[in-house]
Amino acid sequence: MIRPSPARWPRRVDPGAALLALPLVLVFLYFSWGPIVRGLVMSFQQTNFVSGSTWVGWENFTYVLGDPLLPTAIGNTLWYGLLCLVFGFPLPVFLAVVISELRRRKGLYSALAYLPVVFPPVVAILLWKVFYDPSADGLFNTVLGWAGIDPLPWLNTGTTAMPALVLEATWANAGTNVIIYLAALTGVRTELYEAAELDGAGIWRRIWHVTLPQIRGITVVLILLQIIGTAQVFTEPFLFTGGGPDNATMTILLMVYNYAFINGDYGAATALSLMLAVVLCVFAGIYQLATRKLGRDS
Amino acid sequence: MTTFRHAHTRTTLFGGTAALALALTACGAPSSGGSASGDGTVTITVGDRPSADQAAARAFFDRRVQEFHQAHPGIRIEPSETVWDVQTFQANVAGGTLPDVIKVPFTEIQSLIARRQVADITDELKAVGLADQLNPQTLKIVQGRDGRIYGVPVLPYAIGLFYNRALFEKAGLDPAKPPRTWDEVRTAAKAIAEKTGQAGYAQMTTENTGGWMLTAQSYSMGGSIESEDGSKATFDDAATRNALTYLKQMRWEDDSMGTNFLYNMNDIAKDFAAGKIGMFLSVPSAAYQAAVTNFGMAKEDVGLTAVPTGPGNDNRVLSGGSVEIVNPKASPAEKAAALKWIRFFDLHKYIDQEAAVADAKATAQDGGAVGIPRLSPVAPETFERYESWIAGHVNVPLENFTGYTGDLATVQLKTEPVRSAQEVYAVLDTVLQKVLTDKDADIAALLAEAVATVDAKLARAPR
Repeated sequence: MIRPSPARWPRRVDPGAALLALPLVLVFLYFSWGPIVRGLVMSFQQTNFVSGSTWVGWENFTYVLGDPLLPTAIGNTLWYGLLCLVFGFPLPVFLAVVISELRRRKGLYSALAYLPVVFPPVVAILLWKVFYDPSADGLFNTVLGWAGIDPLPWLNTGTTAMPALVLEATWANAGTNVIIYLAALTGVRTELYEAAELDGAGIWRRIWHVTLPQIRGITVVLILLQIIGTAQVFTEPFLFTGGGPDNATMTILLMVYNYAFINGDYGAATALSLMLAVVLCVFAGIYQLATRKLGRDS
Repeated sequence: MTTFRHAHTRTTLFGGTAALALALTACGAPSSGGSASGDGTVTITVGDRPSADQAAARAFFDRRVQEFHQAHPGIRIEPSETVWDVQTFQANVAGGTLPDVIKVPFTEIQSLIARRQVADITDELKAVGLADQLNPQTLKIVQGRDGRIYGVPVLPYAIGLFYNRALFEKAGLDPAKPPRTWDEVRTAAKAIAEKTGQAGYAQMTTENTGGWMLTAQSYSMGGSIESEDGSKATFDDAATRNALTYLKQMRWEDDSMGTNFLYNMNDIAKDFAAGKIGMFLSVPSAAYQAAVTNFGMAKEDVGLTAVPTGPGNDNRVLSGGSVEIVNPKASPAEKAAALKWIRFFDLHKYIDQEAAVADAKATAQDGGAVGIPRLSPVAPETFERYESWIAGHVNVPLENFTGYTGDLATVQLKTEPVRSAQEVYAVLDTVLQKVLTDKDADIAALLAEAVATVDAKLARAPR
């Protein structure tokens, strides 16, 4: 057995410090880990919160896995994640690079980029719901009309509903990443640009060969966070469409919500949550290993 | 069923952890809200106290509590603003914070009975002499399959068809003669769409309200959604097929349903108030309040008539309303106290003129609607007397509602599906959305598929 090296362990624990930290640790355990453990237990139970719970083994899991809606929800969640990755992810990188290249009013533009994040999500979504009015005099459709484009049904067909959700989500969330990239860009060594310029590299080649490799670390982390975040998309489909039309925006978390709050079936809800959490943990682990290996190879 | 849902914490696109998904439940000590103290006083918590923005109703509620205390010295009432909310109900049950008395929608009561999340109050109901005062038609709604009684139905209503009288006139239709059959609805909708460019007929389709209204449509043609014991789905019948066919024709042949096919209860009332909708089905009280009080529709433009009928109609109409329930963890003494409160608060006004008038005045002062036609929770003659007491305070255009009120005395109430109503409605929401957004939707195939899905859910539902 390997003993931990003494250097890694404090020789003496300061009782005062431990006492100070204790309430925080307890609160964290109770409110953060309490529900997680409870959820884990409940996924193997059937309960009505009144007359005690009964253990049902894997029944909740088999029920959820047999739900004909599950493949649809998984497909929709993946589709949402993919759309966000393809359209939502490059945008903040692009905006951050553009803003960092500006000579003046950088603060103003980064504030403008961040503004949508400050909007309360529910307000923003309800506002966009008005913008997405499918009639010809809806806001977006009026704008399209100026360009001679026919009105779009937006949330009202299975094909356009999900992209409409992604559009709003991108608008609402891009700001955070813009700020993070801007911060990362300040760490890029300027002499590299000068060297590239001397070698005759244009702006795109400088971005591609200098900027992007320099912010690679932060990009890798943000992609992971985004994938975990999009796998848990809830607010947008919940408020925009309720999962419709014809389940075109039914996501995994919306199913969890419906199980728990509409059907009062906490067993199924926690079982599906648990499966999602396990899948995301496994994914995160593989992703970490892969990117670390990639980092070493390059 | 009234589902005005509230804001929910956002799982951010670029953040959030898997733990969030698991953090569904908060731990809490299970205990009932009420208690009995040493001196024999029973304390119960009572939900549905009006919030501070409804000043007159709140003052009225508080005054009633005081009056109750004087009349029942052995009982203490602790008012709470907790109301039925689909998102918090289960957590309240789990955490022991559910009030001892609270109103829930008709839609939920059978599921609550099946999950044993509501107290059996049969004996207490008899003890306070309420059992034979209540309207036997609505009392059926709160009975379990064991014949026991699990709640007191209050504020019952039948679904109705709202129509915009101004749009009717613009389309050359007579607002005094609203459609009485689904064929007439189709004709009127077409006229409205052609003459005014607005949706002639619109339909709720989301948050389970679609399935709910489709149930009303199916019942209007003699259909059913579930077998009587709730073990099987039965909605692949001619009635539901006809209901969907009418919608399909209005949507795709007549183009008389506008462009929005994702309406919830609130949004449809908003567009109705804005003059964008000619006709729609909804709950008389809730939709009137939303359109007139919240969205500023001129009340003389509001018309209300009975749910139209179609082939197979057997004079039955979908009913709804609120049920006063008692916390499943309440002790016998608390249950008895709870029933006394329900009798005093919800039903006293039907037998006491002063209470009836005070209630109507407080509602009107808060800008609420008084006199929206509804069904009787008590014996019909008692209810008629009550209506005559408040006649002077009515502030809604009753003359525009005669198509609804004319039938009210003779229709038979039909309850919502007895098992897992919300889950069934959710499946039917999808069917409706498909029919309204996909021109090639095959109604028979969709219904067959939906029946299979629902049967699987019914097999899992607690019995």
